[in-house]
Amino acid sequence: MSEKLRLPAEESYAAELKALSVGDQHRPPGWALAPRQVVTYLMGGKAADGTPITAKYVGDKRLIETAVATLATDRALLLLGVPGTAKSWVSEHLAAAITGDSTLVIQCTAGTDENQIRYGWNYAQLLAHGPRREALVPTPLIRAMEGGKLCRFEELTRMGSDVQDTLITVLSEKMMPIPELNTAVYAQRGFNIIATANNRDKGVNELSSALKRRFNVVVLPLPGSAEEEVAIIVKRVGEMAHSLDLPAPKNVADEVARVVSIFRELRSGSTEDGKVALKSPSGGLSTAEAIAVMIGGISQATFFNDGRLTPETLANNMIGAVVKDPVQDTAVLGEYLETVLKKRRGFEGYYASLTDLI
Amino acid sequence: MAAQVSLFGIRHHGPGSARRLVEALDALKPAAVLIEGPADASELLPMLADPDMVTPVALLTYAEDNPANASFFPFADYSPEYQAACWAVRHGAVLRFIDLPASDRLGATAGDVAEEIAAGAAATDPVSHDPIGALAAAAGYDDGESWWSDVIEENPATGPIFTAVADAMTALRADEKSPSAREAAREAHMRIEIAKVAKECDGAIAVVCGAWHVPALTERRSLAADRELLKGRPKTKVKATWAPWTAPRLARASGYGAGVVAPGWCAHVWETRDRDRAAEWLAKVTRVLRHRGHFVSTASVIEAQRLGTALAALRGRPAPGFAELREAAIACLCNGERAIWDDISSELLIGAGVGAIPAATPLSPLLEDLQRQQKATRLKPEALDRQLTLDLRSESGLMRSTLLHRLDALDVPWGRLTDAGRSRGTFRENWQLRWEPEFAVRLVENLLYGSTIAEAASGRLIEAMGKEAELGPLATLVRNAMIADLSRATEFGIAALETKAALTSDGQSLLAALPPMADILRYGEARAGTAAHLAALMPRIVVQAALALPYAARNLDGPAAAKLRGALLAADAAIQLAQIEIEIEIVASWRDALRALVNDDRATRLIAGTAARLLYEAELLTADQAADLLTRMLSPGTPVAEAAGFFEGFFEGAGQRLIHDATLRGAVDAWLMTLDGEAFTASLPLFRRVFSALDRTERRRLMDALFTRSIGAARGYRLLAGTTDIWPAHQARVLELLRSGAAR
Repeated sequence: MSEKLRLPAEESYAAELKALSVGDQHRPPGWALAPRQVVTYLMGGKAADGTPITAKYVGDKRLIETAVATLATDRALLLLGVPGTAKSWVSEHLAAAITGDSTLVIQCTAGTDENQIRYGWNYAQLLAHGPRREALVPTPLIRAMEGGKLCRFEELTRMGSDVQDTLITVLSEKMMPIPELNTAVYAQRGFNIIATANNRDKGVNELSSALKRRFNVVVLPLPGSAEEEVAIIVKRVGEMAHSLDLPAPKNVADEVARVVSIFRELRSGSTEDGKVALKSPSGGLSTAEAIAVMIGGISQATFFNDGRLTPETLANNMIGAVVKDPVQDTAVLGEYLETVLKKRRGFEGYYASLTDLI
Repeated sequence: MAAQVSLFGIRHHGPGSARRLVEALDALKPAAVLIEGPADASELLPMLADPDMVTPVALLTYAEDNPANASFFPFADYSPEYQAACWAVRHGAVLRFIDLPASDRLGATAGDVAEEIAAGAAATDPVSHDPIGALAAAAGYDDGESWWSDVIEENPATGPIFTAVADAMTALRADEKSPSAREAAREAHMRIEIAKVAKECDGAIAVVCGAWHVPALTERRSLAADRELLKGRPKTKVKATWAPWTAPRLARASGYGAGVVAPGWCAHVWETRDRDRAAEWLAKVTRVLRHRGHFVSTASVIEAQRLGTALAALRGRPAPGFAELREAAIACLCNGERAIWDDISSELLIGAGVGAIPAATPLSPLLEDLQRQQKATRLKPEALDRQLTLDLRSESGLMRSTLLHRLDALDVPWGRLTDAGRSRGTFRENWQLRWEPEFAVRLVENLLYGSTIAEAASGRLIEAMGKEAELGPLATLVRNAMIADLSRATEFGIAALETKAALTSDGQSLLAALPPMADILRYGEARAGTAAHLAALMPRIVVQAALALPYAARNLDGPAAAKLRGALLAADAAIQLAQIEIEIEIVASWRDALRALVNDDRATRLIAGTAARLLYEAELLTADQAADLLTRMLSPGTPVAEAAGFFEGFFEGAGQRLIHDATLRGAVDAWLMTLDGEAFTASLPLFRRVFSALDRTERRRLMDALFTRSIGAARGYRLLAGTTDIWPAHQARVLELLRSGAAR
């Protein structure tokens, strides 16, 4: 038993990776598995020796194929999607399957500077011996280039645009100049970059088109069916409520189904029976936000409402998730309430409390 | 047997088959080319090679007595049948259709419109109508053409391709139940025709038919048995001609059962048969993207090409096909956004090509239909103006009106409504008729949309509805469809209205949709049309418009406010008109919105004034309340421009109200008196506008009313006690004065 809270993918799934790597397949240079085995690793199936492979990603196989083929052409891969669409999860498993190492990660934030992308200096060394290679502190990117591994960038668009553009030379020329030493680091075969980014978020820095052009983009969609989404949310809400020491009210599953149905209708721009078309609010209304609404509602119910989870407590949280633009989204929500929710049975509480709130 | 018969099993509208077929014909040099198609239309076949014939075109066969019973057999550039026909004409070979005659098909399907090509009869069964597509789908391909090129053409074990196809079909058919009676009769007919031609001709014979039929046609059956199968088949008198066709109607999505998924891709495969298909396709994608305003660099196109190749390798395919190129284009050219691809895909995959037919083509069924209907309605085409008054309550009147409205929808304005517009709610219509020779030409152009006037009008209106982005004009189109008694177009239009209405938040266009809709609701009663759907839709639009109104009324400049005012008045009138059909609470929500407008300080004053007037007219504001409101809105503290705006909104076009409404008049009078000289002068043009709507008599009556008020104030006096006693003395005095005056 490991003391680590969470093991990296290549350790958790070492057995599956080993089973898949058996056999003589044509592999791109630096790859631990053949591309087709990488797809099997992510989508689930059976290895050549019959070992069952669990599905890491539930969704469209063609997206994963595109992602793997992109990495096989030495092009960088950008995974886009709203929060909670398994972007980081997919990127970790791709790195684990392709190079057997998913730990070369750079978490991008607004405070990330060039030194965390390119290289830093060990100032004691620098003062003692002057500029030389030993005084250089390599970043995960440099280590990936030298080792022919995959480097992962989490939330690429959160760092400043000028810092993002550091990657342009690395991506197009596969080398990083170190002008202070009059030398350069050249990438070994197998090196590549997987970046993840949010495509519907505020406070992000749009990629410059020069950089965007150097990525192949795969957009990971939201869950396809309502049942799937409800199941994901009920599971996550249960886990989170447990870790926050919140007693889960009995009717959580019913209310999740209602919240999800409202979210899905607003998000997709039509009612679930497809009969009435609707306008969508400006926010993303992702699965993650539905989870947040439920957790907020449960916490409010626990501390202020004797543990009863009611539409009123959830409505307060829903308003915040739906109305991102006070004028436009209020109108959209108002129209939805009047034309759809007013007549729907079982949603009277939501209609009444949401109408009161807007 | 006198001649050697070669069977070429093709995929309908398959460019891969077309290419191989032309090669095979060049090698075989047959003396006769037989094509799967209605045998009684054979004489039209050579016209396909006419230089004026531009694909896509369709062979149209229809029952002589009922053109609505028709079949279309479309041909595109990349249809193997088309290529075979052209080859035969070029090389002077005998050219014939060999399938069951159209008289059989139309006799059997009497009454309904069948739109299918030769092999499409079994459209319900995907395997028999596109067996190659079915094989491709089984192999995980999105597109039959990619499978054809990967499996049939790139097959390393090269053999004659058509033999391979025939083998595959034999294997497929081995598991099938015996074919339906119709299928069996068709194959019997083809066998008989092939044998007949084989007797007549020397030299090789090429038979071009759907791959599915190949095994059946090679079977040896006795002539007598085949004849037996053909006994007692239905029959009807038919006519055949060519009709221009469009690329979108070749697509399966258009409802054409034997269509292809992506005509644009098929055309591309055909055009680039000897060149680099993937690169040219991506270049085409790029061009469309750039045309739509997306930035796409050449370097990205190169990357897309590389990704396509890598994907093909990953999936174990020899070359990137349709699916690989699509995914590569999404990832590299569309920034991963499927929405961008969906946006360009209709232009790219469907295309917009329209065919043309030579002038010498036989008479169009639309003209025939017109002639027949002219006879039925006893309307003669005359080049002189003629007045015609129709009573819609009589059957003949309704029939004539419907015909004229349908022709109008086809842009053949034989008749013009003289009292345009407002007569529609009633039972009388006045038309001015005048037939122009070019109408015949225009009518023929409409063949694209259908083979009868009703169908063509439906088709044309549906197309116009699909393109219409604004709610108001769309509702007008629906009304037109309903007046012309075109149920298909009406249903389509109502569905389109629903979607559009839900997506728009523009108050103006929501309001604009209401008057035509109210018209239809009223009209639905006058005619035998159904308006049930609309009765459900209109309340929704009213609610939406009510919700959108407060936002729409803010921050408007002069012209925009005037436009909204017009729409608001028309919409209110429409709601009044439709009041019987829609629920009270819907009307109430509309009224609430009007009230909100009046009370909203941010609403443009002109609109607020209009809303106040509508409420007043609906008796939801009492005269006293209205007077209070006016006094408040027009009070000295309000800037004159705003007060004037409200005033204009309230009164413009309703000056008479002042004559009859004393309380209101008092309020206005009081406001006018508070204006100082300068402000009064500034407002003068406005008053002119409001009061000029009154004619001379009305103006005098207004004046009288104002003066009467001062006299009316004297009414308060009572007769003193003893008046009768005093009066004679007064009278004597007055008479004396009068008399003395007269004497002088």
